[in-house]
Amino acid sequence: MNTLYQSLVAVEPFTLIVTILNLFLQLYLIKKFLLDKVMAVLDQRREAADKQIREAEQAKQDAQEIRQSYESHMAQVKQEAGQIIHSAQKTAQDRSEQILRQAQAQASQIKEKAALDIAQEKKKAMNDAKNEISDMAMAIAGKVVGRCMDQQDQQHLVDEFIRELGDDL
Amino acid sequence: MDISINGAKILFTIENVPIFGTIHITQTVVVSYLVMAIITGLCIWLGSGLKVTGISRKQAVAELAVTSLIRFVRGNMGPGFDRYIPLVGTIFITSVISNLISVLGIWSPTADLMTELGWALVVFVVITYHKIKSAGIGGYFKSFLDPIFVMAPVNLLSELFTPISMACRHFGNILSGTVISALIYGALTAASHGLLTLIGESPVIAAVVIASGVGLILNSKQKKKKLPFVGGVICVALGVLSLLTNLGGIFTEIPWLAVGIPAVTSFYFDWFGGCIQAFIFCTLTTIFIKQAAGE
Repeated sequence: MNTLYQSLVAVEPFTLIVTILNLFLQLYLIKKFLLDKVMAVLDQRREAADKQIREAEQAKQDAQEIRQSYESHMAQVKQEAGQIIHSAQKTAQDRSEQILRQAQAQASQIKEKAALDIAQEKKKAMNDAKNEISDMAMAIAGKVVGRCMDQQDQQHLVDEFIRELGDDL
Repeated sequence: MDISINGAKILFTIENVPIFGTIHITQTVVVSYLVMAIITGLCIWLGSGLKVTGISRKQAVAELAVTSLIRFVRGNMGPGFDRYIPLVGTIFITSVISNLISVLGIWSPTADLMTELGWALVVFVVITYHKIKSAGIGGYFKSFLDPIFVMAPVNLLSELFTPISMACRHFGNILSGTVISALIYGALTAASHGLLTLIGESPVIAAVVIASGVGLILNSKQKKKKLPFVGGVICVALGVLSLLTNLGGIFTEIPWLAVGIPAVTSFYFDWFGGCIQAFIFCTLTTIFIKQAAGE
């Protein structure tokens, strides 16, 4: 069979139309089997990367918030601790002063009471002495009245009196 | 000897088809389906088993190809033309595979003007669509009267020649590659027969050539130079081949010089030229569409 060739530059409408249809078919096939799939994967990867970045930023923000709250908390605690120590010191001081005052007050009270007691005892002793003296005078007076005393008797009486006095003392 | 450069081989002829008349089923049509099968197979292979993390080498290649394509289209057209990414990519890969399939000794569909014209017409439709869309239908027709109405025929021609020039640029380059390859092949075959027959006519000349070649090789070994060594090898090869050619039989028929040397020109015209023309076609497509959209 004789091989037929087209001329070098041949216009063949059938080939032209087939080529155009082939182009669209090829376009569809490439899009379906490669482009769409690869683009979907690329999009997914980009989304995943975006998501990770977002999550990382969120985590960073969270960490910062936690740090801030921790720091403010710490500062508050420190302040509270200072307050507690301060108030404790103040309380202790107040208490010591109070105790001191109380002790002083008690001491002065005791002193006053002691002085009062002494005065009372003294008064009592004086009263006792007074009573004794008056009794003695009464006795002396009775003896004087009961006997007529001569010089001798008088002497004797005085001696007895002194002796009695001395016995009492 | 005869060198004939033809268009596509006609495989079938169907007579009396309605509308078309006579249809020639050419190599172009058949090979374009082969190209489509290759590309589709490649796409299915590259596009299967895609993962978001822990990707394979194959997927890395697929992603590199797609991202390069996206970058190419966005770089030439800017954002907002992403819907032309598949079109540009399709034209590019079809063109490259069609150009390179000639390396396998198969008829290249891009060596048929109709292939490029088909693509260019599609691009032309898109260009015209964008022109009408941006200027309005009235503005589009008014643009032919710019700057004065006398220019209308020129403007019309320049409009119509956009797809034709695109198609012819691509076609011409591929065709020139085919023509030059055929010429070089023919010339080398002729030279092969002429030269080898001449040298091998008398065994004495062949022996002298071989001897001088051996001398050059030995000399280069002593001096450690590369150029005399290559020359010596060529001389020895020529001498041996001449002797073989004149022995007769199958050796006479083989065009020795046409072995290997056409690969150099083929590298430029088929590989380099093929890729460059596909790239240029796609660049023009993107730039024309962008211009038409008036952005």
